[in-house]
Amino acid sequence: MTRQAFMTRLREGLAGLPSQTVADIVADYETHFADGAAAGRSEEDVAAALGDPGRLARELRAEAGLKAWEENRNPSGAAAAVFAVLGLGAIDILVLLPVLMGVAGAMFGIAVAVIAVFFAGGVVFAAGPFTGIPGGPAVAILAGIGLMSGAAALGAVLTICTIGLVNALVWYGRLHYRLLRPALEPQTVGVAR
Amino acid sequence: MPEAIEIQLKKGALELCVLALLSQHESYAYEIASKLSDSIGMGEGTIYPLMRRLQNERLVETHLVESSAGPSRKYYRLTEAGKASFASQKAAWASFSGAVQGILGGVK
Repeated sequence: MTRQAFMTRLREGLAGLPSQTVADIVADYETHFADGAAAGRSEEDVAAALGDPGRLARELRAEAGLKAWEENRNPSGAAAAVFAVLGLGAIDILVLLPVLMGVAGAMFGIAVAVIAVFFAGGVVFAAGPFTGIPGGPAVAILAGIGLMSGAAALGAVLTICTIGLVNALVWYGRLHYRLLRPALEPQTVGVAR
Repeated sequence: MPEAIEIQLKKGALELCVLALLSQHESYAYEIASKLSDSIGMGEGTIYPLMRRLQNERLVETHLVESSAGPSRKYYRLTEAGKASFASQKAAWASFSGAVQGILGGVK
């Protein structure tokens, strides 16, 4: 493979990452080719020693996605982390996928229900006093406030669960490209004691 | 599959080797990659995802050094956290590999 072919495949693999990140990574590999040439190695030789650009791009994407989640804990960061882990394409992640889809689907369903209950509470709060329900206007207003605050509380719990789920996924993704780390870490604790 | 085990062993040891090289003196990626691929036979490209991760974890930091020929070069050096991490990983490696060696030594 020539330098040109390597860089093209690397860029293809990195498509979608922030342009600054892609530029940094591309510059690293360009420097590597330049250093190799300075040491008298051919482009083919350097490209072969570097390895498969597609696989390298997957690892670089995974790292960039996990970093995005650690820097901003918002929905787009979460999406980046989830795609980063899926992008590693390991078999057991494919096994995990149906479970993950089930959990994500259930969470989405609960989120929709929470929003619906919140608005229903709003309707009861606003319209209830004029419908003449038993107990009078005060009961309708209190019931509306109760429904809305219940929905807000459920929404907060759901958000915490979602953050926890993405964190677990990030941990799982990291495990995949540093398999021996978990084996060494308990050892470190043992030494420290 | 002996090949798979060998790859995982190397992958696990790679970070420790990089930290060890950087603990001696600061260095640039090509130098680190060529030293490691000579002695442990890793793909040279693997070094870049690893260096980005070490940077994200604040174990290494980069700075540019003017070069006599061509553009300035990106050098990596250990941070204080990196030095601490190296010391603990080195101790962990010594006790782990010692234990494995002890068991392997007893098997005829």
